[in-house]
Amino acid sequence: MSQLPTWLRSGRVVVGLAIVTAIALIAIFAPLLAPHDPNEQNLISTLLPPAWQNGGDAAFPLGTDSLGRCTLSRLIYGARIAMTVAIVASLGAMIIGAVLAHIAGYFGGIIDWLIGRTVDVWMSFPPVILSLILMVGLGTGLRNVILAIVLVDWTRFCRVLRSEVLVVTRRDYVAAARLVGFSHWRTITREIVPATLPLLITLVSLEMGIAVIVEAILSFVGMSVGATTPAWGQMIADARQYIYESPWNLFFPILAIFVTVLGFNVLGDGLRRTLDVRVTETQRA
Amino acid sequence: MTSILPLIARRILVSIVILFIVSALLFCILRLLPVDPAAMSMPTTATIAEIEVKRHEMGLDLPLYDQYLIWAGQVLRGDLGSSIHFRRGVAGLITSTLPSTIELAVLAMIVAGVLGIVGGLFLFHVRGTAREPVADTASIVLLSLPEFLWGLFFILLFGVALELLPFTGRLSPGFQRPSITGFLLIDTLLTGQLGMFVDAMKHMILPALALGIAFSPTIMRVLRSSLIDVYQEDYIHQARLRGVSERRILVRHALKNAILPTLSLMGVQFGFLFGGTLLIEVIYSYPGMGNLMVDAVRNADLPIIQSVGLTYCVVVLTINTAVDALYLILNPKLRIA
Repeated sequence: MSQLPTWLRSGRVVVGLAIVTAIALIAIFAPLLAPHDPNEQNLISTLLPPAWQNGGDAAFPLGTDSLGRCTLSRLIYGARIAMTVAIVASLGAMIIGAVLAHIAGYFGGIIDWLIGRTVDVWMSFPPVILSLILMVGLGTGLRNVILAIVLVDWTRFCRVLRSEVLVVTRRDYVAAARLVGFSHWRTITREIVPATLPLLITLVSLEMGIAVIVEAILSFVGMSVGATTPAWGQMIADARQYIYESPWNLFFPILAIFVTVLGFNVLGDGLRRTLDVRVTETQRA
Repeated sequence: MTSILPLIARRILVSIVILFIVSALLFCILRLLPVDPAAMSMPTTATIAEIEVKRHEMGLDLPLYDQYLIWAGQVLRGDLGSSIHFRRGVAGLITSTLPSTIELAVLAMIVAGVLGIVGGLFLFHVRGTAREPVADTASIVLLSLPEFLWGLFFILLFGVALELLPFTGRLSPGFQRPSITGFLLIDTLLTGQLGMFVDAMKHMILPALALGIAFSPTIMRVLRSSLIDVYQEDYIHQARLRGVSERRILVRHALKNAILPTLSLMGVQFGFLFGGTLLIEVIYSYPGMGNLMVDAVRNADLPIIQSVGLTYCVVVLTINTAVDALYLILNPKLRIA
């Protein structure tokens, strides 16, 4: 164990990574794991309960939805959308937020003021409202969901990282680097980024959880990927209509979202503790 | 007190400027929309020429900034246009739904505040004991559940499995809601209809609990960490040396100082919580502004989306400005400037 880097010896990091990796593997190997095509309808066996319940069918381990589609298969395929959005959207938000935060914190002055005020304007939109409005403007589809999340959530990175950059920029070794003749670019990439990286990694992990939730919310109100792509939020919206006939259909996607978000949060929390970074309480979606 | 008034005035001015930028942004995003509001407001039998006339009437052939200025002028005069889908004035739709949303948000904020403070005190109480890791883990689990999942989970548990509480709408069928202020809870009390008040409250328990509980962990964590900070201060040690009881130290000395950052966070949280009402309303079919917004989004009903989006921003900015002003009044340290 002693050869492992410190961050891998934290229980939280291991648990978080295990959950996230498991879901990522499920997403990657979805076609091999799913017992049915997620869109295949069986109109004679709709709203079946899970196999272990009375009236369950072993062919549909977690039952079927209102169109007789296999719940388990849809959950497995839903992981693809959730993970794609989580990874791509949070990296996108991170890149925009981090670049602006470093520029603002390093150069200060009018640039800092401008970026700060832009963040203020963004933050006066409730995130859910802004993402809904963006989806109306952009239109539905996976690419636009990701774009909407990036456009809404870059401020989370910018706000927190900027104050960190501000602190690091005042350190002696940064001044020394400038004195030695490092360019601004080289000072930022070689001296400042390594110091802000732990915070950055932690924030990305937390943002992935947020992105999963936002995608679920958008697909719940029918403003995410199209109807032919199974997504967890969509399954919830469908199950909400048949809540008395089949409460299980509501339970499973809730559980899937919860476990995924929990994985990212535990990982983020573990990284925060082991990498010893101060994260101000981040706001949720 | 005199020195903080200019600060507050400045803060209000900044909010107004932000609001103008926000409204311009909102306007531009919605103009990206690939649907034609003119065509949508006409009957399906309209000819292309008729639609062109309508486009001209609606000012859609003008440059974008002219269109924005016209819209902003109308909004300032209280004219929010009329809904394409509902064929009603948008202002009327908003005034009939906003009170419900405010009631939900306020009730949820009370839940969040109470749970947050009680939970924060508990987290602080168990610090350094064997129960700390358990409490810590529990608070991460709580943080992982957004209001959206709490709402659905409560429907499954209290609504469907235990059948304890209603989970659709605001009132049971058969009640004729009074309308005086538009706030259902206040109106039922004003007219003395206690039975209806209780029914309305029953309908609000699950949505308010779901929303409140989702926002409580952040409050818990901040209260705990500010209490830990305050306990490092000299005046706590002094109070202890003077023989003040631990309970009295907590209530009179520590909590009094730790509550300020907590209250300020709760103010910020209230802004976010107000945005969170949208999903809760949809889940509980609660007739507020959130449901209006989602319906409008599904029907691409531009006038509603624009105005409701703006209303959300106005409310959030108002809350944030009020919280900042309150913070200035409550915190003597910030008055020097």
